[in-house]
This record gives sequence, structure tokens and C-alpha cells, in this order.
Amino acid sequence: MSDIIASSAPRADRLRPATDEQLRWFDITETDRSRAEALAATADELAEPIIEDFYRHLLSFEGARRHFRDDDQIARVKQGQLRYFRELVAAALDDEYVANRRRIGLIHERAGVTPTLYVGAYAYYLHSLGHMVMDRMQDDPARAVSLLLSLNKIAHFDMALALETYVDTREAAIEQREREMSELPTPVLQLRDGLLLIPVVGTLDSFRARNLTVRVLERIRDLRARAVVLDITGVAAVDSAVASHLIQTMTAARLMGATAVLTGLSAEVAQALVKIGVTSEALHTAGDLQHGIEIAERLMEG
Amino acid sequence: MSPPVLPAEQVLRIARDGDIVAARQAGRLMASEIGFSRPEQALIATAISELTRNIVSYAGTGRLSCRAVQQPRRIGLRIIAEDQGPGIPDLEAALRDGYSTGNSLGLGLPGTRRIMDDFDIRSAPGQGVTVTVTKWTSC
Ligand SMILES: Nc1ncnc2c1ncn2[C@@H]1O[C@H](COP(=O)(O)OP(=O)(O)OP(=O)(O)O)[C@@H](O)[C@H]1O
Ligand SMILES: [Mg+2]
Repeated sequence: MSDIIASSAPRADRLRPATDEQLRWFDITETDRSRAEALAATADELAEPIIEDFYRHLLSFEGARRHFRDDDQIARVKQGQLRYFRELVAAALDDEYVANRRRIGLIHERAGVTPTLYVGAYAYYLHSLGHMVMDRMQDDPARAVSLLLSLNKIAHFDMALALETYVDTREAAIEQREREMSELPTPVLQLRDGLLLIPVVGTLDSFRARNLTVRVLERIRDLRARAVVLDITGVAAVDSAVASHLIQTMTAARLMGATAVLTGLSAEVAQALVKIGVTSEALHTAGDLQHGIEIAERLMEG
Repeated sequence: MSPPVLPAEQVLRIARDGDIVAARQAGRLMASEIGFSRPEQALIATAISELTRNIVSYAGTGRLSCRAVQQPRRIGLRIIAEDQGPGIPDLEAALRDGYSTGNSLGLGLPGTRRIMDDFDIRSAPGQGVTVTVTKWTSC
């Protein structure tokens, strides 16, 4: 399972610090762990009443109630929560713990449990437990506070793990969508005999640019095209790298015997590219689409 | 006359193509708020594009920060692009027109130097790259 998480978010994984580094960031020491463990017996005993209380709170919210199908499911989730809070005070904070916490975060994210619901539930648990522990340790309030503060550190570490998973999952979804978008074949429209229009949209990285070139060449061959209008109105960030890709595509088209004309570049961006050093001849720009088509037609006839 | 309210600094994480688009837009907006003309805004957006594209292509991830800088008679936009990637072993070569290890035009760095007023690049192998550029309003 942790493999699945890793493979669905490779980039975030590379950036994520190791577990001991994270513990250091949260300043969680051996002392904190043993203090949290000292709370284990109390937490165990109190977990059920806290969780019962929490569900009364939770189920008074219409939006939260919709997460549950039936009482059976509520019972199962309560069980899971008992285990979750027991591990908070008892489990070793190692790689396995982290992987497990991230897995739970993933399940929450998939189930549509929002960060607000998640953090709110956590806060509810912590303050209920806090009150009860203070009540029980009235003879030694200083120790009670130090135990709870240690637990607090671990709880924050825990929440961070879950929230990181939320973010990673969303990022992976965005990347996935971008990848799917970039794999969509660019449409090649035949405006009339021998004249092709290719509207390029989105970003143009080298992978996409290569696909574009291959496709343009195929269509020129299949349709015996003599002119190609490449419209980049929908390309979001035109710079020298994109210009380089476009020049390569257009050069390839010309080598196949078709005239290539570029349209949809704003005057200001075209100016900026020229100042950067991209020669306008290489790009062969023709202003707007209408003008580009006229030029292409003239070039075909001439 | 009351002094103009300068836009707040923005720092953006750069890790993929979509971030390049977002950084361009953020920089362009800030440039218009500072009072740059539309052609100048396009130059600034292009510089941001070049620097962030280099981060994505050669370093993987990095950061871009944009902030307004004020001097007695002028206001500027300062852009800092930094990464912890492999760095550039030969800066002089990298600043030459047409030098590219990525089979591209090799115009990003020298072109950015041309279109911005101040240009500073620092790098060492294994230490990443930091490029700082500033464009000043013409007043
Ligand atoms: N952030 C960076 N990290 C490592 N190397 C870099 C970085 N930025 C630039 N370089 C190196 O400097 C060279 C020149 O960069 P420059 O942006 O001028 O050209 P390019 O990216 O190769 O082509 P273009 O920008 O025209 O698409 C690059 O080919 C690369 O080897
Ligand atoms: Mg470049």
C-alpha cells in the first residue's frame, strides 16, 4: 500500500524529509515519546467515552452525517478511531508508523473527509482528553501539562502527515490530469484542399512538441498538404524553449514540402521573443489566425 | 502626493510546467501594479518564463520570488530564481548566445540578460543556481 502511495506521488516523495528529520522538526524527543506512553493507560480507558461523545458532536452536523451509510459503518469507523488514538500514544514513531498514517490520510482524502473535519476531530479528541487528564492528575498538574504538551507535539506531527498526504494526492491528481491533457492528440483540421490548421493549446514541453511534429508530418503526408497554419493562441507560456520546439516543427513541415505559418502570438510576446534573440524569420509569424490563413493561401498559390 | 502602495512580495514554488504559467501571470500582474507598460510586462513575463523553465528543465524544482524595490527616483521589480539543482559548471559558456545542453536555442539566459536592466547569476557545481534580475520603471 505504501508502494501505491509512493508511486502515485513520485515528486513529492523525493522532496519529503526522512522520518527522523521530521521528528527533529517537530522537536519530538525520547522524553516526549515516553511521556505520551505514560498517557497510554489513561487514553485507553478514556478513548471510548471520548469517541462516543465525539460522535454525538459529529452527528449533529448534517454535512458530517452524510459521510455515513448506516450504524454499522459508524461502529466500524469508531473502532478504527480507537485504534488510531491508541497508536498515537503507544506506537513507535518509525517509518512504518509514517506509512500507516499516510495511508489513513489517503483513505480520508478519498472518502471526502475535508481537512477541516479531520483537524476538527483531532482537536476535539485532544481537548477532551486534556480535560480528563487534568481532572485525574489534580495532585500533579505540572506533570499533567508536560504529558499533554508532549502528546500535543506528536499529534501535530500526526496531523502534518495526514495533511501532506492530502496535498500529495491532489498534486498527483493534477499531474495526472496534465499528463492526460498533454497526451491528447492535437487536432489537425483540413481547412481546404492542401491547407491544414493546427490549434495548439496548453503547454508545449519537449514530449508534446515531439508528438506534435510527428502528427503534423503524418497529416502533411496523408493529406498531401502544401501549407500548414500553426495557431498558438492557446499556448500559455511562449518563451525560447517553446519557440525552439515550434521552429523544429515548422522546419520539419517545410522539409516535407509544406509552407508553415505561425499565428496567435501577441505582438508584445513576439517583440519580447525578438529581444531575447529568437529571429522572427525563423518563426514566420503572421499575426492573427485570419491573416495567417490568407498568407498560407497566397503562399500555396504562389 | 501619497506614495504608491507597492505590491507584497510573492514566492512561488516551481516544479512543473503549470508553475511556469502561474509564475508568469503573477509577475505580469505585479509588473502592471508597479506601473510597467504592457510591452515591459511582456518582457518581464518572458524573463520569468525563461528562468523558471530552466529550473524545471535542469534542476527539477526551485523557487521564484518577485518583489517591488524602491529607490529615490525609480521603482523596480526584482525577480530571484533559485534552485538546489546540479548548478552550471561554466557560467561564461551558459551566458553565450546559442549555448544549450538541452538541445534548445540557448537564448534563455543571454536573452534574459538583454531584456532586464540588472542581471546577476551565481552558481557552483552541485550548489544550484541563483539568478537575480531587476527591471526599473522608466521614470
Ligand atoms: N537552473 C539551471 N540549472 C542547471 N543548469 C542550467 C540552469 N539554467 C541553465 N542551465 C544551463 O545553462 C544552459 C543555457 O541556459 P539557457 O536558458 O540560456 O539555454 P537553454 O535553456 O539551453 O535554451 P533555451 O532557454 O533557449 O530554451 C542550459 O542549456 C543549461 O545547461
Ligand atoms: Mg533556458
